[in-house]
Amino acid sequence: MTGWLIRLGPFLFLAFVAFFWEVASRLGLTDPRLLPPFSGVVSVMIGLLHDQRFRGDLVTTLTEIAAAFAIVGPLGLAAGFFLGENRAAYRMLSPLLHLLLSIPKSIFLPIFIFAFGIGFTQKVIFAVTLAFFIVALNGIAAARSVPPGLVTAARSFGAGHLQIYLWIYLPAMEALIIEGLRMGLIFTITGVLLAEMYGSAHGIGRQIFAWGEMFRLPELFACVLLVVVVTVSLNEVLRIVEDVSRSRRRGF
Amino acid sequence: MDASRPSVAASRGTVTVIAVEHLTKIYGAGKHALSALADITFTVQEGQFITIVGPSGCGKSTLLQVLAGLLPPSQGRVSIDGAVLSGPCPDKIGVMFQDAWLLPWKTAIENVEFPLMLRRIPRPERRSRAMPLLHLVGLGSFAERYPDELSGGMRQRVAIARCLVQQPKVLLMDEPFAALDEQTRTRMGSELLQIWEKTGGTVVFVTHGLTEAIYLADEVFVMSARPGRIIRRLRIDLPRPRTFDMIGTDAFGRLRNEIWDLIADGHA
Repeated sequence: MTGWLIRLGPFLFLAFVAFFWEVASRLGLTDPRLLPPFSGVVSVMIGLLHDQRFRGDLVTTLTEIAAAFAIVGPLGLAAGFFLGENRAAYRMLSPLLHLLLSIPKSIFLPIFIFAFGIGFTQKVIFAVTLAFFIVALNGIAAARSVPPGLVTAARSFGAGHLQIYLWIYLPAMEALIIEGLRMGLIFTITGVLLAEMYGSAHGIGRQIFAWGEMFRLPELFACVLLVVVVTVSLNEVLRIVEDVSRSRRRGF
Repeated sequence: MDASRPSVAASRGTVTVIAVEHLTKIYGAGKHALSALADITFTVQEGQFITIVGPSGCGKSTLLQVLAGLLPPSQGRVSIDGAVLSGPCPDKIGVMFQDAWLLPWKTAIENVEFPLMLRRIPRPERRSRAMPLLHLVGLGSFAERYPDELSGGMRQRVAIARCLVQQPKVLLMDEPFAALDEQTRTRMGSELLQIWEKTGGTVVFVTHGLTEAIYLADEVFVMSARPGRIIRRLRIDLPRPRTFDMIGTDAFGRLRNEIWDLIADGHA
């Protein structure tokens, strides 16, 4: 019972926000031109979802996110695993990794545009750059979380390299790998939307930026709400996978 | 440890199972080279229970890891059951460590089955071989429990069962009870002796506890400080089965003092 309450917590919070938003707007506590009522925003959002052009933008953005995530997930984890397993490489490259992680990548957006234009490729490359470091750091943590004693014990039972990766590494790292992918997905979405808002011809990010400029607040809020719903849903799906994995792979 | 092997009891003490010749182990190279073991030669006969003691850092664990095929020797060689060792050899050697190292995501019975699973033995046979061993170590009713639901002593019992499941000739134990409390350690020692008397086989047991070393062993190997050498082999002629009241006897005390003096000298 309590478990379900905790699980539903974020949704209850969102429901509260929606409720007070609606009430405040209806009672005239806020300027309806600045903050249209929640119900109005929802109906605009449904309207947008039926709009051909908007659906095109949505597909563009989702494709960019999918492409970037498909690249950065395996790439980041592989790099992280290599660094986590290779002591010399780790000692050499981990300060650099932390340094690069701490630099705000968005300030380089103009340079990304000079280098890669304002199309699909630039969105994907920027999102990969933004998400890579966090995924790699999770990959390092995952590789380092495998207890060496388990590996030694498995070797003493005659386990070969492949068997050790399959039966020891993979299950031991599973939860941290999923956690890394979840963080990677959040950063990928942020990266694509940022790049679209900064300079783009298509996509949700560009629409949000444009409607903000044009003071079309119902559409702006509808779009923001849509992004929130999609992001939270994707995140929750990965969190459920993570929880299932955690309860199956005990002790990690 | 095959119960169906009729010659075990008869051949106890006559057949050489472990032969170590001029074994040297050096870690690293050049200026940073660290000599851990120096020219060690000994043999162990089938069915013997050997304990190895020595000052801390003397290379006891290194010696055991080399015997297990987990570390290659720098010079010399180790033969197990007549064949020169070149790597882990699970059908002849079972290894136990200070920590049980059970897979946290597998149940007790699945952990015992794990070495068999690595050898792709079908599940029904795995189960039928693992279950009697879990009963042997007194954990028959804990088969479906996960390691985090078991006490430290219970986890080591599962590890013993996991070692025995491949029916190894030699059991190598690296301070397996050192992390347990005094009471549990003593009880586990006498249970290990009972299991050993039932299953036969040869045991090499590293410990830093002199009482434990004498109580368990047919023969105690005393090692010097680094680089480790075996400076004395002491036969323990206390009758079997061993009982706790032997620990208080004069004979036991004399052995204990003798080993203590050897270790103190070796350290100086």
